[in-house]
Amino acid sequence: MQGAEFLIEARDVCKNFGVTVALDHVSFGVRPGEIRGLIGENGSGKSTVSSIMAGMQPATSGEMVYKGKPWKPGSMLEAQENGICMIVQEAGTIPNITVAENIFLGHENKFARGPFVNKRKMIAAAAQLLKELGIDGIEAGMPAGAYDFQDRKLIEVAKALYWEPSIFIVDETTTALSQTGRELLYRLMQKLAGEGKSVLFISHDLEELMEYCDTLTVLRDGVIVGSLDKPEFEGGKIKQMMVGREVSGDYYHNDLEGYSDEVVLKADNITTLHDLLCFSLELHRGEILGIGGLSHCGMHTLGHALFGAEKVLDGQVLVGPGKVPVKNTKVAIENGMGYVSKNRDVESLALQSPIMDNIASTGYKANRFFGPFISFKKEKEYVRRQVRNLSLKCASIYHNVSTLSGGNKQKVVFGKWIAADSDILILDCPTRGIDIGVKASMYQLIYDMKKAGKAIILISEELPELIGMSDRIIIMKDGQITCNVKRTEGFSEHSLIQYMI
Amino acid sequence: MQAAKKQAGGTLLATFRKVKESRWTMRLAPVAILVALMVLFAVWTGGRFVTAVNVKIILDQALIIATVATGAAFIFATGNVNIAMGACTALTATITAKAYLSTNSLPVMILVAVVFGALLLLLCAFLSTIFKVRVMFVTIVMMVLLENIKSEILDGETLSLPFEMTSGLQDAGFSYIIFVLFFLFCAVIFHFTSVGRAIRFTGSNMICGEQTGIFRNKYLVIAFVIAGVGVGLGSLLTIARSGSITASTASSMNMDCMLAIVLGGMPVFGGSKSRAYAAVVGALTVTVLNNGLLMVGVSSTILQGVRGVLFLLLVLMSNGRPDVLPARD
Repeated sequence: MQGAEFLIEARDVCKNFGVTVALDHVSFGVRPGEIRGLIGENGSGKSTVSSIMAGMQPATSGEMVYKGKPWKPGSMLEAQENGICMIVQEAGTIPNITVAENIFLGHENKFARGPFVNKRKMIAAAAQLLKELGIDGIEAGMPAGAYDFQDRKLIEVAKALYWEPSIFIVDETTTALSQTGRELLYRLMQKLAGEGKSVLFISHDLEELMEYCDTLTVLRDGVIVGSLDKPEFEGGKIKQMMVGREVSGDYYHNDLEGYSDEVVLKADNITTLHDLLCFSLELHRGEILGIGGLSHCGMHTLGHALFGAEKVLDGQVLVGPGKVPVKNTKVAIENGMGYVSKNRDVESLALQSPIMDNIASTGYKANRFFGPFISFKKEKEYVRRQVRNLSLKCASIYHNVSTLSGGNKQKVVFGKWIAADSDILILDCPTRGIDIGVKASMYQLIYDMKKAGKAIILISEELPELIGMSDRIIIMKDGQITCNVKRTEGFSEHSLIQYMI
Repeated sequence: MQAAKKQAGGTLLATFRKVKESRWTMRLAPVAILVALMVLFAVWTGGRFVTAVNVKIILDQALIIATVATGAAFIFATGNVNIAMGACTALTATITAKAYLSTNSLPVMILVAVVFGALLLLLCAFLSTIFKVRVMFVTIVMMVLLENIKSEILDGETLSLPFEMTSGLQDAGFSYIIFVLFFLFCAVIFHFTSVGRAIRFTGSNMICGEQTGIFRNKYLVIAFVIAGVGVGLGSLLTIARSGSITASTASSMNMDCMLAIVLGGMPVFGGSKSRAYAAVVGALTVTVLNNGLLMVGVSSTILQGVRGVLFLLLVLMSNGRPDVLPARD
């Protein structure tokens, strides 16, 4: 009988990616007229379960029931036509085509006469839709690429709402929106719920969820931990459900000993093709410098530029006591720098290569025994030492990195740079997509490296992580530093956010 | 009952995966295929296939392919494909024969072969790195261009080299010596030096390589020069074996070379698991296939088709589509 009261219900849904289990027998339902929040750590399966509902990928096993019938969408378009629409976390618009074409993507035949599409009619319909939803300042005939990230998100909202969805899935959208954009979205969500439709709301922002959701479902490592109704909402309790234990203070480090005055890396008025204009920064020995901001504030470009992986058009990056200009990644590495990319699987790892080859890639010089010849013994020990010290879980060092879990993959990247004895590490979102247990050991590792006198730049989109780990925090906005504060002066989450937006 | 069946299927699948994942499978499978083919043809032809004469023919032919393909393996390892290895060999052989005919000097001939081969491939590499055109497209153009230059030089004639010279080379085991030396040189570079490691790593993931201080263009040039030396030596072997240069010299080499590398177990898209000996095993397999099929009466036009289909199959099979989460950025 239970099935009848849910608009959509997932029963025992599992999803595996290779050996990684993303969803483990997940069952839950969404009632008509409710805003249900989905919350959990990175990699807990929130996006996975909702994208399965929205037809973006099939489940490995299990079933879903939608409006009383079995639900197995073959594509996003099929889901859309049946009233399930999702706004995805990543940019979901195509920049080179118009706003109207984005909104009606895949449904052009609505405006077609024979093989031709009546663009004027399509643009008029899109303009009408934007007006109805109260989204101002977006021209339906302009290319989507002309708008900034926030406006493009709003285009996606319009695209989803055109279908008057019965189920509206919002995945991590609000972080990209300003206050006005957020309020618009909240209003639309409440309107839908008022009409007896349902909203599935995924967010990292606990306060936001607690304010706007009727019920909350908590996921951890692909398993449903539990659901709470509005009266039961309580911050500490939800956090504990997410993490699986009491969230204690020593998760991060909390000493105030600071760092030395010696500058080991300096960006001197650097300008890059995108994002950075006359940007300066100094990093000291023994310092963990946190860099935060919204995703598009230029901090990721900064990481690239400091490491020599992004062309610096003007100004210089100088490394070490000799103030060597970092012309390219090779110079950076020779001067003791290492870089862990946010886009780990593409930039920091050769996925289809063994663990051995990945870690050994920084040791071609160190492992020589004479001339250009490599000592196999030295090389193997070079790799084994890292596998041991980082307690990397792998079948053997000859297995492909692609067989590892996210946390262990990240350990391979760390191992590669620790083996090379890097003194300056640039870590771009090092805990992205890593489960909580490994996360804690990563933090310990970063702290140990600081203790050993290494200098670390920690670029992160998660404020609690920055506040917990950094000796100093720089907040960036539009490629500029808007705030530079030391741990000894005290960090306040609230004020740091103000500098971001 | 059904559950038990499912379980059995599961363990079978697990065993299959384990075998597939094992690093030895990839290494030994090509050798197994070669042996299986030889046995097949030996039985099919009632023993004619394994007579001493035929085995020598196969070896001599395979040697040329193996020499060129071993060099080309470096290019494959960087994740690039040079489809014009045959055309390069053909032109180099033509120029080399011309050089011998006008100087009558063996050392000059050897020098011209190696230097011209290396320069020719260096040109391909520069066209790719300087103008930022993919190796594939550069070599498509090269394949046609070099063939035409060669026929322009030959002008419908046949370049015949003195019989004393070619037979002298053959009697002295020239081809075998050259091949063994070149193979040892390549194997050492490939597996025992930092250059070989770097070449393979850039093929595994170019972007990751660049962020580890391994610049692709540099190693692409090195790979092409080594391949060029292979082309030079291969053209010397061609001259020693056939004694003349005609319009059809090395005409099937473009395909043979690629087929050899892939049949030898080299990953189609290069990278860590590339092996130097793949080209040798593959060259033997290709030659056995060519020779055996002709012997059982398959016409040479159909043979071309068979090889094309085989190549396609191998590429599809080794399509390294990652079985993991799509990257989210």
